[in-house]
Amino acid sequence: MDKPTRIYQCNNTVDGIFSAVYDAGLSGYGHRFIRIQPIQAGQNENYELFAEYVQVETDSKKTKSVIDAVRQKISEKAYLFIMSAVISDFPDRGDVIYQFVTYGFTLGAKVCNALQIPCVDRIFAMNRAVQNETHFFREFLRFQEVQKDPSLLLAVIEPRHHIIPLLMEHFADRFIEEWFIIYDKTHLEASFHQKGGNWEVYLLTPEKAKKLEELSEQKEEYVDLWKTFFHQIAIKERTNKKLQTSMLPLHYRKHMTEFLEDNP
Amino acid sequence: MIFQDHATIKEKLEILSDAAKYDVACTSSGVSRKGNKGEIGNTAASGICHAFGADGRCISLLKVLFTNECIYNCKYCINRSTNDIPRATFTPEEVCTLTIEFYRRNYIEGLFLSSGIVESPDYTMELVCRTLHDLRTLHRFNGYIHCKAIPGASRELIEEAGWYADRMSINLELPTARGLQELAPNKNRTTILTPMRQIQNGMAESRAMLGMKGGNQSAYWYTQKRTGRALPGEQATLHTTQNLFGQKKAPEKLADNSLKEAQTAPDNLISSSNTGLTQWKHRDISRGFVPAGQSTQMIIGATGESDYEIMAVTEALYQRFDLKRVFFSAFININQDSSLPAVNGQPLLRREHRLYQADFLLRYYGFRADELLTQQRPFFNTYLDPKCDWALSHLEQFPVEINTADFNTLLRVPGIGTKSAQRIVAARRTGKLDYHALKAIGVVMKRAIYFITCNGQMMYHFLKIDEDYITRNLLENDVDVMKGFDEKVTYKQLTLFDDSDYEDTN
Ligand code: SF4
Repeated sequence: MDKPTRIYQCNNTVDGIFSAVYDAGLSGYGHRFIRIQPIQAGQNENYELFAEYVQVETDSKKTKSVIDAVRQKISEKAYLFIMSAVISDFPDRGDVIYQFVTYGFTLGAKVCNALQIPCVDRIFAMNRAVQNETHFFREFLRFQEVQKDPSLLLAVIEPRHHIIPLLMEHFADRFIEEWFIIYDKTHLEASFHQKGGNWEVYLLTPEKAKKLEELSEQKEEYVDLWKTFFHQIAIKERTNKKLQTSMLPLHYRKHMTEFLEDNP
Repeated sequence: MIFQDHATIKEKLEILSDAAKYDVACTSSGVSRKGNKGEIGNTAASGICHAFGADGRCISLLKVLFTNECIYNCKYCINRSTNDIPRATFTPEEVCTLTIEFYRRNYIEGLFLSSGIVESPDYTMELVCRTLHDLRTLHRFNGYIHCKAIPGASRELIEEAGWYADRMSINLELPTARGLQELAPNKNRTTILTPMRQIQNGMAESRAMLGMKGGNQSAYWYTQKRTGRALPGEQATLHTTQNLFGQKKAPEKLADNSLKEAQTAPDNLISSSNTGLTQWKHRDISRGFVPAGQSTQMIIGATGESDYEIMAVTEALYQRFDLKRVFFSAFININQDSSLPAVNGQPLLRREHRLYQADFLLRYYGFRADELLTQQRPFFNTYLDPKCDWALSHLEQFPVEINTADFNTLLRVPGIGTKSAQRIVAARRTGKLDYHALKAIGVVMKRAIYFITCNGQMMYHFLKIDEDYITRNLLENDVDVMKGFDEKVTYKQLTLFDDSDYEDTN
């Protein structure tokens, strides 16, 4: 039987996508005919001629139902997969999460290993991309001290995916007693960690973002010491810029202390 | 000698990081520790790199010498006493400040403190211990510390350092005792192997007392367990546990041929009778004793050993001393010493690369050294990596059927790494695999296709299981196989393999 594709249009946010997955799942329309399309505010929508459109109402309760069902009926690993996928920047993530969850409800925990199924292969790849990017920034993100007494550390990053929450899990544990900010310049998001442990992610206004950028332009003493170490520790006889670039792509160097020009 | 008495911290850092750069290890792996209130830092089991230097090596730790005012005269070392170079010595406070301030900025995972020998081994080790003590207790640093044990230092100081450090290392320096005697006249195998054994037994004791918190087993150990082989090192574990309960101690016998000196050391110097932890009551034992294990390194290409000898020593170190890692460092004649070989950079780097690949096969894949090389064939093939090379000389074991072969068999297939083997085994539970699925799983097809079948079929019907045919095809089609062998710039170091045969498992 053939029927028209039904497209669920939703907010391009975590709650938006999960709300669409929830609505689509309840519809009983048949997963082969369903697509999920996150719409960025102000973006021009591309309508298809023979599809029918459903507008999804965003509701965090729907998010909770989807997450709870995944954890209970599939597995914790499946939950991590969908969480990575939902914070990614891939346009097909809504479709993939929806299909993955549908298979998961039938197959149970084994779904995560079933790389023979295209949507599993795809969510696996999304998960890997998000985890890899997070890992890169765990390594290469740099803080600078932008204020003393009390000390405040600031890091600027330009990631593709919305990885601040994943980064914060790492740094909040590492720097429990520090005040620090991680600022995501791509998505104008920032999180502020207070000494002792609390943190939250904020969406920034352009003015606030500008303030953070101004703060990040200061100079401090340890930059120089770090550069000294960075240059001295390389073995000149084994210089290998190509290897260096393959390990540390130029794209990540933009905000790294050791690659910043000395006197701008 | 040029002494920098009133040097600034920057001048000292310049001298003492330059002096430390030839040490290979910069890994921060082996222990996972959460952050604590009131402290700074945590550690990640797989380690974290923070930068890559101009030589492409990973920078993970603040790697410095405490001092390069060394009284010894090892021929291969830039800091040897007869060299006319700038000298400097840190204060413990300076090292602590640099570590903490670099760490807060996410430049590093922690500290790798090594040292030249100033005054005496004990005097030096005391300074190292004071630094680590201050870092852990005054500065409340809970990140990673790698500490080099000074050969010849007293066992009390070695133990003290082990309670602060996550990882310790003592360099074997050269693969044979003879080589050591020639190039490092102030050192000998006994002063190197004794603290190594002490740390090994201390770790075993710490694990027995503290469980998981006391420290992790090595990849080599897990691989041996998986493949069902007994480890001679287990005797040592048993032994120390007995000591704990006050039972009679018997000197431990070492049966390996590659570290013969360990056997013949006077008065069982290297036996558990003079090891064992004595400072439980005086130290903070919450981190365990050397929980990330110990490593060592040796210089290759300065004295005349074959790859076979090097691999045999490496295997003995894993088996007898329970090391986490053995590092190799291609010799560079920095001192232009005429009694040492002239620099032959590229071929030696290639050799180092092959040794690292072979080391991986020992640690993760369950190969034995004598499967890879023999006395009759003592060097690795320059053109093929050791796993392909092994497979080609064991064609009778191929092809392997992907849908039925067990994990250990899959691991021996070129193009299948530990991760892909795990994924194959897991994915088979939901249905048969075809070649398309293998690609998704991450198998390197251009290498694997000669050695596998899927549901009884080879990928292409024209493929032949024939040594010449496969070798020719591997060399022609597989760019990875040739990578780095003709051109300096594409040389890859172990930790950097993108190639799934040598990927790290954690
Ligand atoms: S002991 Fe030998 S290897 Fe170590 S710093 Fe001194 S001369 Fe160099």
